[in-house]
Amino acid sequence: MWRSRQLLFLFFLGMLLTACRRDKDQPIYNPVPYQIDIPFGFPTKLNIPSDNPMTEEGIALGRFLFYDGRLSGRNHPDSLMSCGSCHVQSRNFEAGVDHPLFESGFVHGLNGQQTHHVMLPLVNLVWNHSGYGWNGFLYPENPNPGLRNIEDFVRLAVQAKDEMDADTSRVKALFQTLPGYPELFFNAFGTEKITFKNMERAIAQFVRTLISANAPFDRFLRGEYQLTASELNGYVLFTTEEGADCFHCHGGGGNPLFTTHLFYNNGKDSVFVDSLDRFAVTGDPMHRGAYKAPSLRNVAVSGPFMHDGRFETLDQVIDFYAHQVVYSDLIDPLMHHVLRGGVQLTPQEKTDLKAFIATLHDENFLTNPAYGPPAYFPDESFKSDSHD
Amino acid sequence: MYKSILFLSLLFIWFSACRSNHENEQNPSGEIQLGISHTVDGNPLATDTLQYVNAAGNHYLVSEIQWFLSDLKLEREDGKMVEPTDDMAYYIDTDLPESRSIVLRNLPDGNYRALHFTFGLNEENNRSGLFVNPPESFMFWPDYLGGGYHYMKLNGKWINADGLAEPFNFHLGIGQEYDSSALKSSYIRPNDCCAANHCEGYKPPSKMMPVRAFIQNSFEVTLSQNFVVRHGMKTKLEIEMKVENWFRGKHVYDHNRWGGSIMQQQAAMKQGLENGLDVFALHVTSISDVAK
Repeated sequence: MWRSRQLLFLFFLGMLLTACRRDKDQPIYNPVPYQIDIPFGFPTKLNIPSDNPMTEEGIALGRFLFYDGRLSGRNHPDSLMSCGSCHVQSRNFEAGVDHPLFESGFVHGLNGQQTHHVMLPLVNLVWNHSGYGWNGFLYPENPNPGLRNIEDFVRLAVQAKDEMDADTSRVKALFQTLPGYPELFFNAFGTEKITFKNMERAIAQFVRTLISANAPFDRFLRGEYQLTASELNGYVLFTTEEGADCFHCHGGGGNPLFTTHLFYNNGKDSVFVDSLDRFAVTGDPMHRGAYKAPSLRNVAVSGPFMHDGRFETLDQVIDFYAHQVVYSDLIDPLMHHVLRGGVQLTPQEKTDLKAFIATLHDENFLTNPAYGPPAYFPDESFKSDSHD
Repeated sequence: MYKSILFLSLLFIWFSACRSNHENEQNPSGEIQLGISHTVDGNPLATDTLQYVNAAGNHYLVSEIQWFLSDLKLEREDGKMVEPTDDMAYYIDTDLPESRSIVLRNLPDGNYRALHFTFGLNEENNRSGLFVNPPESFMFWPDYLGGGYHYMKLNGKWINADGLAEPFNFHLGIGQEYDSSALKSSYIRPNDCCAANHCEGYKPPSKMMPVRAFIQNSFEVTLSQNFVVRHGMKTKLEIEMKVENWFRGKHVYDHNRWGGSIMQQQAAMKQGLENGLDVFALHVTSISDVAK
């Protein structure tokens, strides 16, 4: 009897020790939820898919992947391309007109093929509910579940002939072999087995953290900064129909996103031949020649401008809206100055308007290290290929 | 002591439950499904088709209408008002079908004789920052022009005197009274604005003139119509916006006179708003079981 009790005791002790050892050896999957702090005046409704909640670990992994040139599925130095190759932080996550590789900001893929449209900024996208891309072809209600959100944009960019031209199976297989990455995937998603779906999710989480909300105009709204006389004049022009009339599409104090994320034919042309305008998405002939109104945050460094990059400078854009708007039957009704060729601004008004737009320049956003490339990647042998 | 507290607690819960049941028996409730329709000349609005003619003879089309309906109240036949919802305002959009149906639940049974609402937002509520989320936030009315929100954006085009389809933004909101005594040097001169031939004759309004006062333009709408609310039943009502009436009634509104933009033209907004009293109608469309 005594002996059997001893055996039973030893058995339970053994189980306990084994259990303890197993806990100690195995990593624990316990991601920390990430909460976006809503900046003053910003919308509270966020576009975060229910199947990709944001976590600290997911964002950290996403930042590595965003800047890792091996996202192209290749190792050769000439064949590296990451999101950060084109989406440069200091250029509002566009290439910028002064990019060392992409002349005048016209980006091309690894095989040299130029993208159909120029880039859009990656800024405050967590508040975009109306579709991604110049024509909004990725939108949450899309019947095609593969064309709904930023996650899908990651896959499309990796596969696109005019971008990374990569095979997603090869990409995930490559990252599976890179020391450090499987552990990060476990921390973010509970499995070391790397799937491209989880790569999409991680990058999308990182992109959703890219928030610009501390420009001088934000501080003005918070009562921390006084606009100069010229900036105030520009603000009045920006927000009046008889001024520059920007606000209906590009926001203002009541819409600090500085975009509606909606689509407009803004009178650039009278003939419409682009196969990827808004009409390509909706099938509505009234939407020919219509494109997304981009956010004007950090717009001064976001050139080239318009979907086809026809304007290199902000001055050219202001001149267009002031004097060069073109009439067509399809022009958006909000362009009610069209028959006068535009909103007709004086040189002083243009100066003031530009001064106001400069108050949307958020240096914190453009230099925040949390948004920038990491010094080293998880395998500690490879440096970021970002041109920041 | 402990037993006493337990007994009293149970007694309280029992009484509370009884009271709740009693109230439900005393106040049977029904439901209203309030639809919003937009019509022109008695037919459903067809957007982006140039087929309408207003009272001034302007041929026009409508691309979209976005507006606020607020302070919704129902008037019982004894004159008592029922506030059927905690929602202060509803955003209506011709492009968003879900915005054109409002469900009002737990309404007191009885006979009603009218529905009341504010077109736009009343002076007390119409404050900048009230809405932070789209699409409501996209309706913001710039602070320089009075702040708050557009009561309505009615966007379209009309055939102007030159035979061209010119865009118009029939936007209503807070009006401005400009300071005509301000220094003229602060105004924009026509020659500063337009030196090109294609805009010869364009005389911009004195847009930079200082604003002296703001004018609240929202108005209350009373739609007299008998309807009933019955326990377990759903009454379907429809508010109709007769679009053509914005341009006729007390005033014949002529796009050729007012041009494409009126946010800074109180006289134009005033015409539209005074016509607006005859823009809305209320219809009872059906009454059925709530389940249907």
